[in-house]
Amino acid sequence: MRVLLVEDNDDLAETIVDRLRAEGHSVDREADGNEANELLRHAHFDIILLDVNLPGKSGYDILRSLRARSDATPVLILTARSQIDDRVIGLDAGADDYMVKPFDFRELLARCRVLVRRRSGNATNVFAAGTLSFDRAAKRATVGGQDADLRAREVQLLEVLIDNLGRMLTKEEVADKLYSFDESPSLNAVEQIVTRLRRKLQGSPLVIKTARGLGYMAYVADED
Amino acid sequence: MRTDGRSYSLQRRLLALMALGFAALLLIISLLLWTYARGAANRTYDLLLAGAALSVLERVSPGADGPSVDLPSSAMDILALAPDDRVVYRVFAPGIGQITGAEDLPLPPAATVQATPVFYDADYGAPFRFVLQGRQLNSPSGRLWVAVQIGQTREARRIQQLSLFFNGMAGLAVVSLIGLGFVWLAIRRALFPLRQIEADLRARAPGDLSRVEGASPREIGGLFEAINGFIARLDRNRALTETFIADVAHQTRTSLSALQGHLSLAVDTKDPAQMRGRLTRAERQAERTVRLTNQLLANAMVTHRSDRATLRPVALKPVVRETLAEMLRDSRMRGIAVTFDADDIADGQDVVLADALSVREALRNLIDNAVRHGPSDNTIDIGLHVEADRLVLRVEDAGPGIQQADRARATERFTSIARATAGSGLGLAIVQAVADGHGATLSLGTSRLGGLAVAIAFPRPARAGLAMAATVIVTVLALLSPGWANAQTRLTVFSATDTPAMAPLVERFEALNPGVDVDYQDFQTLALHQAILGGAVADVVISSAMDLQVDLVNRGLARPLTVPEAAALPDWATWRSELFGFTFEPAVIVYNRAAFGPESLPKEHRELANFIRDNEVALHQRIGTYDLRGSGIGYLYATQDVVQGLQAQRMTEVLGRAGVRTYCCTAEMVAATASGDIAIAINVIGSYALALAEHDPRVDVHFLADYNLVMARSAFVPTRASNPELAERFVAFLLSEDGQRVMATKSQLLPIRPVADIETWALRQMRAHVGSYLPIRLGPGLLTYLDRRKREGFLAGWEASVGATP
Repeated sequence: MRVLLVEDNDDLAETIVDRLRAEGHSVDREADGNEANELLRHAHFDIILLDVNLPGKSGYDILRSLRARSDATPVLILTARSQIDDRVIGLDAGADDYMVKPFDFRELLARCRVLVRRRSGNATNVFAAGTLSFDRAAKRATVGGQDADLRAREVQLLEVLIDNLGRMLTKEEVADKLYSFDESPSLNAVEQIVTRLRRKLQGSPLVIKTARGLGYMAYVADED
Repeated sequence: MRTDGRSYSLQRRLLALMALGFAALLLIISLLLWTYARGAANRTYDLLLAGAALSVLERVSPGADGPSVDLPSSAMDILALAPDDRVVYRVFAPGIGQITGAEDLPLPPAATVQATPVFYDADYGAPFRFVLQGRQLNSPSGRLWVAVQIGQTREARRIQQLSLFFNGMAGLAVVSLIGLGFVWLAIRRALFPLRQIEADLRARAPGDLSRVEGASPREIGGLFEAINGFIARLDRNRALTETFIADVAHQTRTSLSALQGHLSLAVDTKDPAQMRGRLTRAERQAERTVRLTNQLLANAMVTHRSDRATLRPVALKPVVRETLAEMLRDSRMRGIAVTFDADDIADGQDVVLADALSVREALRNLIDNAVRHGPSDNTIDIGLHVEADRLVLRVEDAGPGIQQADRARATERFTSIARATAGSGLGLAIVQAVADGHGATLSLGTSRLGGLAVAIAFPRPARAGLAMAATVIVTVLALLSPGWANAQTRLTVFSATDTPAMAPLVERFEALNPGVDVDYQDFQTLALHQAILGGAVADVVISSAMDLQVDLVNRGLARPLTVPEAAALPDWATWRSELFGFTFEPAVIVYNRAAFGPESLPKEHRELANFIRDNEVALHQRIGTYDLRGSGIGYLYATQDVVQGLQAQRMTEVLGRAGVRTYCCTAEMVAATASGDIAIAINVIGSYALALAEHDPRVDVHFLADYNLVMARSAFVPTRASNPELAERFVAFLLSEDGQRVMATKSQLLPIRPVADIETWALRQMRAHVGSYLPIRLGPGLLTYLDRRKREGFLAGWEASVGATP
């Protein structure tokens, strides 16, 4: 992964950079908001870790100009404030996720992986995680090289889940995405499709977690 | 102590209360005073009614064909002491019938005619005060009762009543103000101990939490106790806060010391394996320190936000759902089965007064506890349910739970029950603080899954009735144009004044008011009176017959006008702000210069009869006067002469013997004098006479030295006028300096107001006799000779003497 870290605190920045490099990622670090903004005009990264309180230009401003340039690079906001407004502003401005300092490094890396995977899955038509491979164009999923033999609805569901990796989707949201306007979506049907898909993907690292009363969330079971 | 709600002044409130009391008292007194003033005003003016009634009764006499009355002038003069009141009267014989006056006057409820006067109020078009009094007469047909009933409008009474009332009230108001002043002083004095407390508290050092000392009045003893109790609680609270700060200091320092210790051990260790172990422990210690700091901040935040002012109506279901969705992303949660049950919550049922951020923090801590203390495949059930008047948020898990005995202290700060998995010791304390801040109850129990069950029961707000939006229907009234263009341009003037005399005034008024067309209609005085009584509609009514004008106004047919110019009028020339005199016209003698020289003419009225008798031959059929039957102004002058004490009977006899000739109008009479047809004309309207004599050398005008009656031509606006505003403007114009000047220069009329810088022959003549003028007063006094009986009697006498000679 090619990572840009925008963080003005040198000590914190050093630990993050070291940690990411130790995991084998290439990391650039900027301490100044304006410089980071300039850099992002012509350099491309797989993910951006963005502090909010920066000298020169705030993290939100950088994010806004990034999105204004139609740059869809995943952005993870790092904030020291736990106030709800920060979160809303961050997500409204186009952030993909956020973490409150101080954070667990393992959690940070896990979130980064989810974001990058989600992004690459969207961009390349082929989503691959461990033994699972899903070809959007061919509408085909394989687990350990074997065709998972997905039906149309299951393919649709898998697409929705991969697009929203690490996000909780309510049953109604899933139904909305699976069924067109004039089809009457049945929540029971959604449950059945989820159950079938989960069975067909057994053995792959993609986990579909059900929380009753809340909805579904897919994530890739990592080594951690 | 609550500080919301608007502040108010105790002093002002007490004062307002006392003022209210005084106002109530004043109201009662004012009611009494009002009644008293009415009685007093009635008593005063009832004397006028009684006097008038007596003077009328005195003139009642039995006759061959029933009782009769000769209305005395004094009756109306007495009533005119209430100058602006309209007058009605009636004389009748019970059982026999009407004698004179208005027949339809209201009688008192139990009408028995008696010798003592009965006073009563009744409505006769307007509020009237009546007297009814009777007298027994010895008549040829035996004894009979004659009753007189006189009524007066209540205006003078009302004015006196108001004057008495307001004078009394003004005194009372002053007394009340003084009373309130004393109340104010008393309140200030009474509030003194409160100011003492204030001074004591103000003067204190911030740390001084000792009791407020001093003897307090019994009434505020409770307040003293409350303040001291509050100070004591504040003191305890401060002690708690100090303990908390000490605890926090202890906890963070301990945690940081441990971290520092592990790190320094690691630095000193040579063996890499051992160093790694030390660092691992240091890292765990760092994690604990981070968590401790987070929790302390959360605790401070929650405590800070527990102020009620931050609570808003919040739907908890989405708050819980979002918090859970957020927490589930944590990789620690992956093995944990989470369910959320809020299925039986209908829309809007989950709304409570809450601070979403604090609730989120509480829930986060509860989940965190479950994850921390329970197994990695724990089950956490979150439920949101309505239970009676509470909304209960319940979090249950399948972890180890908390023993019954430990539950009470589990919510204390820095208390960890399970030491092995202990966090900061603040989790449940934060939840407790959130519950306290929401007025909610926190309860710990055993869950169905075997672990801990935590329930926060939020009070549900009393079902607030929907604010009924008052529907205000705004009705827009379309203003209809009243068609001014046509209606306002025409002003109808009914006038008993020669058209040429009024023409210059009308022209000037039309010139001043472009677009106004004055419709001027000339009448004889009596005809005009009959026309108005008959319901003819005019905008302005003008007549020289002052008595007839007064009669119309006395019947309530005129409307009050606001004419500032009237202030310049002499007192005798206006009545009731309804009738306004605008000319000054003396009655004069016109004579043929060929017949007499000025010296041979009589100087005073009493010489007039002698003069006629002395020149009986020369004057036979050569005296002219108005036909009193048809000329209102002639009748007015003649009757006023009687009032002045002229021996009327003798005068008419003399005139009759001299073969007096009667005329309808001034112009004819003057013309006859000029032609020598008659030698002398008596009681001629001076203005016309002077105008004619100025240009005719054959006639001259003679003023008498004792008195010359002066008539003012008067104008009023009828209540039924179709153009009252314009009519008012016309009357104002007649009285204005401009109108008076036009009269003096362009018309034969003589102005009532002195006109500066104008010199005419007529005015010079007039000025030469200043001092001899006796103006006839507009008012109820003029009604006497309009009495039917009185008039018939007077005219009968006149006809008998003068005959119907043309």
